[in-house]
Amino acid sequence: MNPTRVLSASRAASAEWRKIRTLPASWAGAAVALLGSLLITVLNAYAVHADPGAAAFTAPLEVAFAAMPLGTVGATVIGVTVFSSEYAGERQITTSLAAVPDRVLTLAAKAIVVALSIAAIAAVTMPLTIGTARLMIGETVNVREAITRCLGAALYWILSGLIGLAITVFTRSGVVPLVVLVVNSSVVSFSLLLSKISPLGFWMPDMAGRRLFGGVPATEGGLGTVPGALVMAGWTVLLLAAATAAFHRRDA
Amino acid sequence: MLSINGLTKRHGGRTVLADVTFRAEPGRVTGFLGPNAAGKSSTLRILLGLDRPTSGTALVGGRPYRSLREPLRTVGSMLGGSGAHRMHTARGHLRWVARSNGIPGARVTEVLERVGLADTGRTRVGRFSLGMRQRLGLATALLGEPAALVLDEPANGLDPEGIRWMRGLLRDHAAAGGTVLLSSHLMSEVAEVADDLVVIAAGRIMAGGPLSRITAGYATLEDAFFALIGAGR
Repeated sequence: MNPTRVLSASRAASAEWRKIRTLPASWAGAAVALLGSLLITVLNAYAVHADPGAAAFTAPLEVAFAAMPLGTVGATVIGVTVFSSEYAGERQITTSLAAVPDRVLTLAAKAIVVALSIAAIAAVTMPLTIGTARLMIGETVNVREAITRCLGAALYWILSGLIGLAITVFTRSGVVPLVVLVVNSSVVSFSLLLSKISPLGFWMPDMAGRRLFGGVPATEGGLGTVPGALVMAGWTVLLLAAATAAFHRRDA
Repeated sequence: MLSINGLTKRHGGRTVLADVTFRAEPGRVTGFLGPNAAGKSSTLRILLGLDRPTSGTALVGGRPYRSLREPLRTVGSMLGGSGAHRMHTARGHLRWVARSNGIPGARVTEVLERVGLADTGRTRVGRFSLGMRQRLGLATALLGEPAALVLDEPANGLDPEGIRWMRGLLRDHAAAGGTVLLSSHLMSEVAEVADDLVVIAAGRIMAGGPLSRITAGYATLEDAFFALIGAGR
């Protein structure tokens, strides 16, 4: 990349950062990830604490990681609303594209800001929930294992946020992607249901990447950690590329 | 400065613009006049790189808008309302816009004062009146000290004093050598401010040229306008 393009990109990303931090929805996403995970961790850790006989089966790391789906929800909210907010009310998208008419640049700047915001949220949330679980349950945590699993989970969150962003490029409105993706990552996974009737389900992004959280998966079968992560990342790249092509070609 | 050449735009089977050609020159205010849904906004959106034409070109100083590196320093635009998210403050909105084009932050304060929004402080755009939103849109257009202003119905929602103020602003811009292209369906407004006129109806250019030439032989611009529009039917 030539220097002027790098400069344009850094300016576009900095403008996107100013936009995202004013959005109440992105703060809501961050709150769900951080406070939601913490609340679930505290409740679960309390249950373990109150019944020490069961402590052997629920180590602090497992208790903290049981709350991780909330981080996926928060990441999805951020990814979706970063794009849908452009089309709300007085259509900020007109201003955005008048300022940065290069649409590849606009979308890339959004993707960078989404990924970095989610990484920052993960960097605060994960040590906090694991630390809380450890304090309440009182058992030690293997630091190496904790770091590996946190990095995996953070990657999963970031990819979920980027998938949310890519899908919203097609819908413009955030309602449908929010409902579908949040239900999928918190209530019932459509890919999990699909995996019961066809091995294809294991190749869907959320099922493929689920071993990134480490530990013993609730469902057997499917791809291993690294191939699964690659498949999920592949989906993300594919969806972002398709979104970029559509965004580049269509009328604002 | 702004040249529209043979612009045609079709939406499905409907022709929105048919061979639209005109220019807006430096030092002059060009009024783009036509009834609602005549194709004014479509033309301006294509000029600003927001929509794609089916054929034809729209150039800014000989270049397509999309190829401009810091477009806000060349063209300032306003397409209906503030173009701001309702949760932003006027300052917050202008700040991100300034950042995207490497415009110094001091300009934000300058344009806020220029359009009379310096005192809005922490009030969010969602609570702005129509006139205030229009002023914020204009502030965004002025931010990069552009040579050209492209404004879609800029008088919408402004009170009489606001309209008078804006007229002065546009006249000053042209007097300083700038290019102004503004669309409107309000004839009296255009007659007050424009040097040149482009009349569009049903996606076709009906007339273009200096205001005096277009109104020659008619008592008012309104009479000339309806005669021109009628001729196309």
